[in-house]
Amino acid sequence: MGLEGEATDAEVVRAVLAGDVERYAVLVRRYRDRYARYASRMLGSADVAEDAVQDAMVRAFDRLADCREPDKFAGWLFLILRNRCFAERRRQQREGRPLEPGDDRIAAPDRPDGVYEDAERMRALKRALERLTPEQREVFVMKHVEGLAYEEIGQLTGATVASLKMRMHRAYDRLRVLMKEHV
Amino acid sequence: MNTGYHPLVKRVLGGELSLAELPPELHAEGEEALRLVGAVDRTAVAFSPEFEQRVMAAVRRHAAAHGRRAWRWLNTPRDVQVRLRVRPWAVWGGALAAAAALVLLLSRPAAAPEPGTGGEARVVARDSVFVRFVLYAPGAHRVAVAGNFNQWDRSAALLVPAGTSGVWTTTLALPVGQHQYAFVVDGARWVVDPAAPAVDDGFGRRNSLVAVTAPGARVL
Repeated sequence: MGLEGEATDAEVVRAVLAGDVERYAVLVRRYRDRYARYASRMLGSADVAEDAVQDAMVRAFDRLADCREPDKFAGWLFLILRNRCFAERRRQQREGRPLEPGDDRIAAPDRPDGVYEDAERMRALKRALERLTPEQREVFVMKHVEGLAYEEIGQLTGATVASLKMRMHRAYDRLRVLMKEHV
Repeated sequence: MNTGYHPLVKRVLGGELSLAELPPELHAEGEEALRLVGAVDRTAVAFSPEFEQRVMAAVRRHAAAHGRRAWRWLNTPRDVQVRLRVRPWAVWGGALAAAAALVLLLSRPAAAPEPGTGGEARVVARDSVFVRFVLYAPGAHRVAVAGNFNQWDRSAALLVPAGTSGVWTTTLALPVGQHQYAFVVDGARWVVDPAAPAVDDGFGRRNSLVAVTAPGARVL
């Protein structure tokens, strides 16, 4: 058996399915950070995101035998996490609970170097993103936060490039309205 | 009133155009849009150091629970009846995946009742049921069936072509229970069985479903 970093996802998945439960930690370490930012931006809170990623990883373990293509474990795990994030957002919206505002104490308003304005714009965008639909928010996060191309987003989410662009354009329009005082 | 960005400005945001390619009258709008997108927070997010421990603790608990359930299932005596279930298959429009049928046959009867026990006969579980998979896939070079019974291994259960008819078949022994599966044509293309019910796998794809049943099961 090679080093942990050399094992492919498929090898690890098969080892876990064969009974080596501890090998699952390899996948946890491998994908924890990759999906932390996505979940955090989708849910607006690192704490809520941590719960969501944990839940997704445990669910993935429970359903590992249903993973058709173990070499594509990353995409499969992403779909579980995505469903979890969407469900959480809808639950929050049903309950009328706003997302956590995050750390707003970045700069003093009288700083002359524009740092305050930049920080304020960043906070405003964060608040504005929370007012998009989950689908619009997701495509914005994946394109502008994760830096993925539409084709890559389509591969992960199953949506067509045309529909992703449509969502994105609606998100731009909505953000323009929401951010008019900050840009 | 239209308050959205001009379509060309959106193409700048999407990386398809540069700001310099915009007509002069859209430059200001383009700069505004870029300021908006430039406010994105791309800082990394770090979870607590205990994250991995928490996940693995939950995984170990779940693994133990799975093991207990499997052990109970294996130790539960069952009656197993012979069930023959045939689904007629048909060719649909010359599509690649066209028709299939499932035939369930009991692999062998349950053990004989114990004589003279003075009560109901005790039947030991025998749960190997043959399931025949059939796919009409003319032009295919290789067809396999993958499911949760073989951990979705695309090469574990190959179908055999029946001459040059385009019909591929194989027979597998499956345990009693409900199984999800799909055909894999030429090693890459997943095809649901058009003659079997299908369910959403929860991740945006469809799986075919076969239920291998043992009605009358009871615990003695």
